[in-house]
Amino acid sequence: MSCGSTKSIDIFFTAKSVAIYGASASQNSVGQAIIQNFIKPQYTGKVYAVNPKYNQVLGVPCYPTLQDIEEEVDLVVVAVPARITPRVFEDIAAKKIKAAIIISGGFSETGKIGAELEDEVVAIAKKHDIRVIGPNCVGVVDTHSHIDTFFLPEYRCGRPKPSNVANISLVSQSGAFAAAISDWTAELGLGISKLISLGNKCDVDDDDLLCYLAEDSTTQVICFYTEGYDESKGRSFFDTAKTVTPNKPILVVKSGRGQKARAAASSHTGSLAGSDKVANAAYMQSGVIRVDNFEHMFDAAKALAMQPPAKGDRVLMITNGGGLGVMTTDALEALNLAIPSPSAELENKLHQNLPAYCAVGNPIDVVGDTDASRYDAVFKEAIASGEYDMFVVGMLLQTPSLGMDITNVIANYQRQSGLPFIVVSMGGGFTTKAGEIMELMGVPTYATGEKAALAAKALAQYGEIKYRDKFNKTLISDKP
Amino acid sequence: MKEAKKIFKTALEEGRTFVLEHEAKDIMKAYGIPIPPYSTATTADEAVAKAKSIGFPVVLKILSKDILHKSDAGGVKINLKTEDAVRAAFNEIMENAKKYGQEKGIDVDLSRGVFISDFADMGTEIIVGVTKDPQFGHALMAGLGGIFVEVLKDVSFRLIPFTESDAREMLKELKAYKILEGIRGEAPRDVDALVKIMLSVSKMVEENPEIIELDCNPTFVYAIGKGALVVDARILIDKPDK
Repeated sequence: MSCGSTKSIDIFFTAKSVAIYGASASQNSVGQAIIQNFIKPQYTGKVYAVNPKYNQVLGVPCYPTLQDIEEEVDLVVVAVPARITPRVFEDIAAKKIKAAIIISGGFSETGKIGAELEDEVVAIAKKHDIRVIGPNCVGVVDTHSHIDTFFLPEYRCGRPKPSNVANISLVSQSGAFAAAISDWTAELGLGISKLISLGNKCDVDDDDLLCYLAEDSTTQVICFYTEGYDESKGRSFFDTAKTVTPNKPILVVKSGRGQKARAAASSHTGSLAGSDKVANAAYMQSGVIRVDNFEHMFDAAKALAMQPPAKGDRVLMITNGGGLGVMTTDALEALNLAIPSPSAELENKLHQNLPAYCAVGNPIDVVGDTDASRYDAVFKEAIASGEYDMFVVGMLLQTPSLGMDITNVIANYQRQSGLPFIVVSMGGGFTTKAGEIMELMGVPTYATGEKAALAAKALAQYGEIKYRDKFNKTLISDKP
Repeated sequence: MKEAKKIFKTALEEGRTFVLEHEAKDIMKAYGIPIPPYSTATTADEAVAKAKSIGFPVVLKILSKDILHKSDAGGVKINLKTEDAVRAAFNEIMENAKKYGQEKGIDVDLSRGVFISDFADMGTEIIVGVTKDPQFGHALMAGLGGIFVEVLKDVSFRLIPFTESDAREMLKELKAYKILEGIRGEAPRDVDALVKIMLSVSKMVEENPEIIELDCNPTFVYAIGKGALVVDARILIDKPDK
């Protein structure tokens, strides 16, 4: 599938006027939680409540139907019982609104009767060109426009913020995961642009979002959580992803490593396939990076959002702590990244610029009494040598000699060289703050060597996807 | 490809969703996939004559719309080196097929006789196959035969269609790839010939999406420059309008 116009999707994130169908005055209800999101000052558009029971909800004017609203409405959030949604959609059609998010459950996920209701809604939507997200989802969060249909109170489910550096968007089949990730990334301080929960995917699906996010200038990395694709939808995702990955990285967590397909197969090949191996092949072939879990996903996504992809697999580790150096290079090695020692020439230059008790190899240990100047010397020579494609920098801040100017040194060399840098900084409160500063300056920072190694691997993987044959792969095999 | 479509039509008309061995080989041949010389014979005399023109040793296999698993029905005789051996094998296969039919309570159609083929020299055993995944559609699998596939499940996949570099990459993904590169002083295997087969199978499936499963098992790959042969082929097709 190639991407057509994504205009019909754009309105879900840019709507200037939103109607909440099923807005409610009863506390802790879905219909109230959603309207609360839209009366926050961050959302600058207009909001209307629709419910024949009220004249107003939380001070928002409430109308019996959409047609009673005089002004135009861009987007409807539907939070009414499933059985009355067809009627709601007739109202949406009459008001000529082109986008709706159905939060309610009780559709195809519950069985035959629900599926019939869903079909009915889809038929009305198709007839009137209404795009539909859901049903059975939490909808969308856009951190720029502040459109937020998550019916989860903010004190329980934090909302992430956009970063000035780079942002990630996530599409999730599961609403619960979308919510948990919202809460979690808010806590992590990760820059997020959009979170979308697709639910039953009765209309808008992974392909639509993939096309949209590929063009979205506020999204630098596209993340997906999926449990599976409807028949042949896996193929269309594959076809679309192939066109996107040379320009923007896509990360996927896919669960449901099921055996169904295997059981049904009668040939030798079929019995060996199982759908997971085929899924793996599809992701690999289309340049989608599959990760095992959300922790890996966000470690990788942060690096991919903030740093350029690596043009080769040669990593140099610089550290002011020997243990951290060894731990990190072990992790890098386990992930099949090359950790070549400096050439004799480079080694000479480094020795000239460093105290004799510094260990020059890979890792390079500038030892505990260092200040930023030794890092500076190493970066200068190592970058000029052209012997490395990527730098992993151990920055232990427990020592009094290393000042905060180290963050400037790292950020400046990264920017000047255009080579990817990753920082690993273990520790407590002071370190965490320093890490935040480092990231404000554009270099992703991790709490352990293992996480940093994973991030480095993601940059190499994406480099290989993006640059293909031009990627300088010095390690021959990708097998352990 | 017209050849394939005609064969699939015949199969479905006979109520089969599998194609017979000579049909599978006809399709393979049409796509330029290397296979050992083959023919069919409906009498013992014809089998002998065909064996002589193919050259000994040969293999005989039952050809019947009622028998999918030929070995189970005693329908396969290999390494037949003489005219007498071929004659005896023909008669024995027919007897076995009849017996098989009696046991199963079916009237086995024997009108097509046997498939007769050159008994190919042993090469490095490879399995090339196709599966149709419900989510992603057709995918090609490759792996080394024997324990590598049976025990270690050392196989790799790519969605169809794929490029030549995909094909090479998927072979390199195999843990047993070193065997193809030649180990213990052996000459490297003819990987180019294998890649060509993989690409031809990909094209075949792309043009005939009704194929739902396919096994080229075994495929023998010989030393570099000596090519590769698909020795046994199975093709299963989808019922239309299912």
